[in-house]
Amino acid sequence: MMPTQSQLRLRTVLFWMVPLALLAVPLLVNSYVQFIVNSVLIYALVTLGFNFVIGNLGQLAFANTAFFGIGAYASAIATTSLGLPWLATIPLAGVAGAIGGFLASGAALRGIRFYYLAIITLAFGELMRWLYVHAKSVTGGTDGLSLPRETVMGYSLTDDRVKFYVFLVVTVLLFKATLNLLRSHVGRSIMAVRENEVATASLGIPTSRVIVTGFIWSGFVVGCAGSLFALHTSYVFPESFGMLHLIISFAMVLVGGLGSVLGAVLGAAALTVLPEYLRSFPGMEELFFGLIVIAVLLVLPQGLASLLRRVSPIFVERFYRE
Amino acid sequence: MFLQLSISGLSQGAIYALVALSLTVVYRSTTIVNFGHGDFVMAGAFVSYVLTVMLGIAFLPAAVLSVLALFILGLCFSRGLIRPIRGGPHIGFALMCIAVGFVMRGIARIVWGREVLPMPSVFDMPPIFLGNLIITGDAIFIIGTTAVLLIAFFAVLALTDVGKMVQAVYQSQRGAQLIGINVDRFNDVTWGVGAALGAVGGILIAPVSLLHPDIGASFLIKGFAAMTLGGFGSLHGAVIGALLLGVAEQYAGAYINTALIDITAYLVIVIVLLVRPHGLFGRKSVVKV
Repeated sequence: MMPTQSQLRLRTVLFWMVPLALLAVPLLVNSYVQFIVNSVLIYALVTLGFNFVIGNLGQLAFANTAFFGIGAYASAIATTSLGLPWLATIPLAGVAGAIGGFLASGAALRGIRFYYLAIITLAFGELMRWLYVHAKSVTGGTDGLSLPRETVMGYSLTDDRVKFYVFLVVTVLLFKATLNLLRSHVGRSIMAVRENEVATASLGIPTSRVIVTGFIWSGFVVGCAGSLFALHTSYVFPESFGMLHLIISFAMVLVGGLGSVLGAVLGAAALTVLPEYLRSFPGMEELFFGLIVIAVLLVLPQGLASLLRRVSPIFVERFYRE
Repeated sequence: MFLQLSISGLSQGAIYALVALSLTVVYRSTTIVNFGHGDFVMAGAFVSYVLTVMLGIAFLPAAVLSVLALFILGLCFSRGLIRPIRGGPHIGFALMCIAVGFVMRGIARIVWGREVLPMPSVFDMPPIFLGNLIITGDAIFIIGTTAVLLIAFFAVLALTDVGKMVQAVYQSQRGAQLIGINVDRFNDVTWGVGAALGAVGGILIAPVSLLHPDIGASFLIKGFAAMTLGGFGSLHGAVIGALLLGVAEQYAGAYINTALIDITAYLVIVIVLLVRPHGLFGRKSVVKV
């Protein structure tokens, strides 16, 4: 059931009301909860960007972790080596992630698809991790880089409450941009490629370029998220961008709902809060996220967003596969 | 030097061959690439570790038991987790494989934590000296076992009725179904065989390297690199690609830079897919639309 006109207007109002209401969060919660909420915002972006490739574009990809790392390192290197203020490095990290997206998916222009593309992205991710460790002079090797302490207009950027406002603005902007992109002809081509590439090509749409475009946008969003992550933990090192992050991203996309923008928020919120308790036991996180993915695939293949859709047509999107 | 490198390269390549072949076997009959296969390899190695070191069973019976255990695990995985999601998008299969891989890795890490387990050498014989050449017992053992297994595998495929059935399913699932082959059950068994073959690789590598829950990930990449080089989906291509990869790693490590050993596989994947996407023996894989 599609939403009616008045429901669509209500949805637009809600889209802006929710972040406005969130502005009050730092006044209400303690510093630990604030830290978690900041993590949720970052992971919402990570999930949004990853979902763009596997949910909307329908290509299997493993490079999400690489884009995240590229963004984080770009931000860290630009602040420490070039002395740029952190805020200015966010778009820089996004562009670096976008370049990563192009490099990881460029083979698509040569007609490489699905499994082959997935394996290339896997190799790309591992190559990046090798680079973090071995390009010591730039990345600090296994020791990593720590970000300098900064202030913005008199507010210290080490304060989680200050970070929250920056993160919130970036997150809302990127969600809005992604929604607009998905509604544009680019977004429609992207989803058409997922449904049937041959049919899409027969309409005169250059499908290879559409796929690369999808990866570039995904890289941009996740790259920006990486920049936020660099400030969030104020420390960037190779371990953060390993296999564990990969299964976390997969789980968040699936739990939220493959291809659903709302799902990106739901998945990130659900899975950032839960596993905080598991962190101290080695192996528990892998087991937990693995089991979550299996359970969702078997029981709720459309994710949490599909439950909300049953409640009200307000939550119906046109971005996922029915 | 050159010969020495070739021998250690071949013994590494033999392991990769088992991994790549088992991936290919599953891929050819089910069109699913098992992104969790590295962890099946790891599981095989850990089961054999439990049986030999912790329960004190002799290596050979322990190895047979481990292979059997992984065969059953692969079969159950196919029956219990892959079959129910057949109706969904193809991406679901890949995600299921990844998830199961992480579950196994998580279990291994919960039990063994961050420690690294040494496995006793199996083939404890003095190395053979041929001039400057040193051939260890382990290398002979690995290459020998793999050679026997591969010959048996390809002989079954080429000479027996079972082999004909496999070829029929590879050509057309539907056609095979029409002539009375139970394709569902065939696929379950294929998953079992895939897991078991991978486990052999894990069991062989365990005595010459240290065991830890993350060894699977690197085997997966090497398997993919071998498959890509040999031609994705080609059985003999997977084996030849694996041997070439094993040798190439050693040469790159010795003659260029040791850090290159770790990334040779990635470079092979990227270069082959860009230059010759169908590899050495594969069919054209490129989409032309």
